[in-house]
Amino acid sequence: MAQTEATVHESDENIYRRIGQLTRTLHDALRELGYERELMDARDNLPGAAYIARVTGEAAEKVLNAVDRARTVQQELTEQADSLRSRWQAVAAYAAGGRACTPAGKQLVDETCEFFSGVGGQADRTNTILTDIMMAQDFHDLTGQVIRRVVALATSLEEQLVKLLIETSRPEPRPQLDPYKLEGPVVAPNARDDVVADQKGVDDLLASLGF
Amino acid sequence: MTAEPRFLIVDDFSTMRRIVRNLLKEIGFGNAEEAEDGVVALSMLKAGKFDFIVSDINMPNMNGFELLKIVRSDDALKLIPFLMVTAEAKKEDIVQAAQCGANGYIVKPFTKATLEEKVQKIMTKQG
Repeated sequence: MAQTEATVHESDENIYRRIGQLTRTLHDALRELGYERELMDARDNLPGAAYIARVTGEAAEKVLNAVDRARTVQQELTEQADSLRSRWQAVAAYAAGGRACTPAGKQLVDETCEFFSGVGGQADRTNTILTDIMMAQDFHDLTGQVIRRVVALATSLEEQLVKLLIETSRPEPRPQLDPYKLEGPVVAPNARDDVVADQKGVDDLLASLGF
Repeated sequence: MTAEPRFLIVDDFSTMRRIVRNLLKEIGFGNAEEAEDGVVALSMLKAGKFDFIVSDINMPNMNGFELLKIVRSDDALKLIPFLMVTAEAKKEDIVQAAQCGANGYIVKPFTKATLEEKVQKIMTKQG
């Protein structure tokens, strides 16, 4: 079944119109996310992405600093416990002979020795937890890489769509322009509808295209 | 390899460099330096002796593959064990790393146990 030329043309027009709407939606979404400025200079740096990377990086560094401090405290606690344990074990050995120690005192000595003996194991468990906390900071790297890609993709997509929109948004075929017959300043712009009268006209036109 | 192997950690994310450094310390390797990309890593490798490289792949300036190729083609560096630690999980990347001479490949996110296993395995093979 052969489609008429008019039907094909109408179909193309629909596609172009849909792409135009998509472009504006994407542009508005990016502007709401704070990327408007970046879109004005999309090929340069992406401050928004840099901001996200910096803030998440600083957060991760703070956590890592806290983990380091906690490890230091834990290490000191373990060393002090080891030192006291050996001394309390000597007391326990002395008390085991029943000398100079009440039953309650002997029980206290035994429980103290038991406590100090357990500190090492508890420190190991704490260190394991601290390692888990440290490892969780890998989100900075992993999300950072994805954020970079998403922003780059969105910017590229936007650029391509805007170009396409500009190239296809005119309903009528473009007239064949003679480059050697550029008009220069328009003497009577209000009498024509194919030119803009001032900068506001330029800005409005660009705004209508999503810029 | 010296008694206290010296590691070079290459990653463009400072957080990840720090994590790897801390993990290496936990598993008994406290001598480590850091580089933020392949270019910096290469200059450090040429300036000082390193016994082990732990490198990301996706980095600016010079990525991990490029660094690996240069290391393997340099007579002074080619025997240094090279462990990839990266978020790149495509099979072709893993194969490429192996073909380029990587001694191991870890995909992020990873665990302390995985890093320890790979490092120890490479150390054992290197003798």
